[in-house]
Formats: sequence, C-alpha cells, structure tokens
Amino acid sequence: MKGNTRSSLIVNIFMIIVVLVCLFPVLWMCAIAVKPVGEPVSGFNALTIGSPTLSNFSRLFELIPVMHNLFNSAFTTILGTITTLFFCALAGFAFAKYRFPGRAKLFAFVIATMAISAEAGAIPLFIIMRKIGLINSLWSLVIPRIATAVGIFYLTQYMLDVPDELVEAARIDGYHDFNIFLKIICPVIKPALASWASLTLIARWNDYFFPLLFLNKTDKYTLMVSVSLLPISDGLATPWQVILAGCTLVIIPAIILYLLMQLMQKSGSFAGAVKG
Amino acid sequence: MKVLKTLKKHRIPYLFISPFFILFFCFQLIPVVWTFYISFTEWNGLKAPEWVGFDNFSLMFRDYMFKEAFMNTVFYWIVSVIGVIAIALLIAVALKSNHLKCRKAFQTIAFLPYVCASVAMGLIFMMLFDENAGLINEVIVSLGGQRIAWLSSSQYSKIPVVILFIWRSIPWFTIIIYSGLLNISPEYYEAATVDGANVFQQFAKITIPLLKNILFFCALTITIDTWKMFNESMTLAGPGTSNTSLFQLIYENGFQTMKLGYASSLSVVLIFILLIISMIQYKLRKSDEGV
Repeated sequence: MKGNTRSSLIVNIFMIIVVLVCLFPVLWMCAIAVKPVGEPVSGFNALTIGSPTLSNFSRLFELIPVMHNLFNSAFTTILGTITTLFFCALAGFAFAKYRFPGRAKLFAFVIATMAISAEAGAIPLFIIMRKIGLINSLWSLVIPRIATAVGIFYLTQYMLDVPDELVEAARIDGYHDFNIFLKIICPVIKPALASWASLTLIARWNDYFFPLLFLNKTDKYTLMVSVSLLPISDGLATPWQVILAGCTLVIIPAIILYLLMQLMQKSGSFAGAVKG
Repeated sequence: MKVLKTLKKHRIPYLFISPFFILFFCFQLIPVVWTFYISFTEWNGLKAPEWVGFDNFSLMFRDYMFKEAFMNTVFYWIVSVIGVIAIALLIAVALKSNHLKCRKAFQTIAFLPYVCASVAMGLIFMMLFDENAGLINEVIVSLGGQRIAWLSSSQYSKIPVVILFIWRSIPWFTIIIYSGLLNISPEYYEAATVDGANVFQQFAKITIPLLKNILFFCALTITIDTWKMFNESMTLAGPGTSNTSLFQLIYENGFQTMKLGYASSLSVVLIFILLIISMIQYKLRKSDEGV
C-alpha cells in the first residue's frame, strides 16, 4: 500500500510538471499580450502585469490589416478543410467499396506519393502558380491540397470496415453511386470525418510555408504570415507586447477549436485518427 | 479499345479517384521533375536558364553554408528523435497509469502544444531565450550561473530551435504511443506481476518490445519532419547560418537571393534523403507483414 501511494505521487507530480511545461509559454504569451507597453518585459518583470490593457490589440490593428488577414486565414482553413474532406472521402469510397482494374496498384501508388513532399518542389511550384495566376490568390493554398494521400489513406482504412451490404442494399433501393456516398457512407463515417476535419483545420490554420511563398501582399497575407513579420514590420521597434498580442490572436482560435472538438468527441482525443 | 472499354465500365470509381491523380501530377510530380532539370542550370528567374551540368553539385562541397545547414539538420534530427520519443513515451506511460487522477484533463492539456502555431510559439521562445532580458537567463543568473547567449551566439543557437521543435512534437507522438499502449493486453502485466517483475522490468521486457514497431514508426516520422524543418529555425534565426536548417537554406537561396539553380540542387539532395527514409519505411513494413 505504501509503495502504491508513492508511485501515485510520482505519476501525478510528473504529469503536473508536464502540464505546466505545456501551459506556461501559452499562458505567458497571453499575459504579456495584455501588459501595457510602458511596463518592462525584461527578466522577472515579464511575469507581472500592473494594469491589464487591450491597447496592444488596437495597436496591432494599426500595424497590420487584422480583419483582412483573419478573413484570409479563415477562408483558406475552412474551404481547404471542406474540399479535402470531400475529395479524400470520395476517393476513399472508391478504393474501399469498388472493384476495378488496377485498384491495388493505384492505392499503393497513392501511398508511395507520400514519400515526395510538395515542399521539395517549391521553386517550380511557385513558377506554376505564377503561370496560372494564383500568386496572391487564396486559392493557391486550397487547390493543390484538395485531395491528399494521407487523407485518402486514412479514410479508405476506415471505410473498409463499413459492411459492403450497406452499399448493395442502397443500390437495390435505386440510389446512384454519388448518392450512396453522400447519403449512406458519409453519415456512417462521421467519426472519422470529424477527427480528420479537426486535424486538418488545425494544420491549415497553422500553415506557414506555403502562405509565405504564394502570398506577397499585406492584404493577402494570412494572419500567420502577418504575425511572423511583426518583429520587422515597424522597423525594429515593435514592442514585444504588440508582437505577442498578434501571436495570441493566432493561437486562440486554434485552441478554442481544439477544446470544442474535445467536448464534441465524447470518447475524446485524437487517438481515433492515428489508429491503424 | 480495350482500355477505353474498361475505363467506361468502371468510370465511376476512376472518376472518384481522379482528383488526387490530376493534382498530384500538376502540383507534385511536375515540380519535382522540373526541380531536377533546374538543378543542372544557373538561373535567376529572369533570364533563360543556362545549362551548367554538375556545377551546382560540386559547388555544394565547397559551400560552408550547405555544410553547416546539413550538419544543423542532422543535429535537429538526432536530438529530436531521441528527445521526442523518450519524453513522449514517459508521458504516455504516465497517462495510462492507474494512479493518474483526472486523466482526461491531463490528456487535453498535454496535447495543447501541438495546436499552437510554431511561428507564434517561436516568438515567445525568442523572448524566453533572450540573452539579456530572457526569463531563462534570469533564472540561471539567480541560481548563480552565467548568462548564456542562446540566440546571439553560433555556439548555442541550435538549442532553442530544437527545444521548440520537441515541445511542439511531443503531443502528437504521445497520442500515437498512448494508443499503442492501450492495445497491449493487460494480461502480460498481470502475469509479470505474478512472476515478481517490478515496474522497470515490466517496462523493459514487455512495454518496449511490444511497442517496437510503433516507436520505429514515430522515429521515421520525426526524421521526415526534421528534414523538412522550416518554421522553427526561420523564426528563431541565429547569427549567420549557425542554426539554419537545410530546407530553410533552400528557401533562402531560391526566394531571397534568387539562385534558383543552386537551390534546386539542394532540393534534389533533400528529395533523395526523403526517398531513402521512405524506402527504409517501406522495406520494414514489408518485412513486418511477412511475420
């Protein structure tokens, strides 16, 4: 019994330390974001706030077009997630529920493409985007990733577990292929769609390299790019409080989204998304 | 004719999978093949590219910036694989422990770093590691130590980058390892307890061997992530190329100094590295299925 309380103590203290390490930078960032510019941020002074203020955020609105950037981020994130969810599920449906020549080979090919990352071809990709007029267009962040190999792989695996009888019964009832997908399959695979959606939403919101590459007008930037340029946007004199107000604005939507997803998924966590 | 007939007969599934293949062709295959071509030329993006053969590749061996970026990436790779897996494994084991209270709350908060954008966290790390005003040095000094030039010296500038990368990567791999742990039958541990094995013996003799495949998968994924590292080293850039990652060097050569030919030859190196990693992964998956 004595050994038990000791190991219980070790485990719980260890996890409390883990949680502190996870939370500290995030909470500290939010704290400095509401610290007045006049108060010092060096050393231990950075841990105290005299009189909290929102003026850093209004300063931020003067420095960068926050509303534009926020809209661009939301647009690419939401549209990117919806399209990728739809097309990956559609391809997964074909791979899991149809028998057609070359199915296994094509599926192996999809998996093999994961070895080549889009980043490695960044230079020609930029030229292609310029040729088709998508530089400074938000669509440049949506279109190339409408159907991704990982998404297809994950959703195919999930759909393989859906009984074939379901599809056959729907066919007898006179459903067309596309309607079977939309009205029969999609409702069944909702848990997989939900966990994949949450991962994609977070990944797209946090996307940095491609927006940096394809967008080069302040009005067209996503919030992520705008904020990353804050330290150099106002000479070198942007106060830390304002920079971190920008960072806070970037991470809060992702955190809220994540917590909402956690509440919605009763079984909790993203464990479902990485199984298999 | 026969091909057309097959296509027509199975047009629905082919239609459903076609978006992926079209996009892959346009935005992945063509760029990569094109990168190989550009790597044999000298090009600034304005004039016509000029064929220079293997010049870009031989330049690489004389370029100290390449050597430094390459070695930096190797450093990030090794430290991250060890650091992330060791810590993620510990957290996963703690999460699974029966002694843990409020498991759900711990789990939710422990995943938080993954949700937070690396660029935003990079900026707070910049403050944390600042030589004169940073909290880390303040703690070191108050404990009687010397200030360390974390970001302003080439000696230490890799450390904040790798800490940020590890901090953000741990949650994802914790979840993967944790789901692996949940799949281990409790009977193994019960039998071991009956046989008198202590916690550490159980960990070494049961947990680790049964998690071997998952841990290996994690190591490969971290490897790929570190070779593509950009955000962390870009945000926390130290003096010169002291903490530049290979991929960041490609970006700087290609899009800042407009040496497209040289940047492409660096991309070719990166493509080969990623290809080798994937081949190892494939080989192991194959041999795994054989068992």
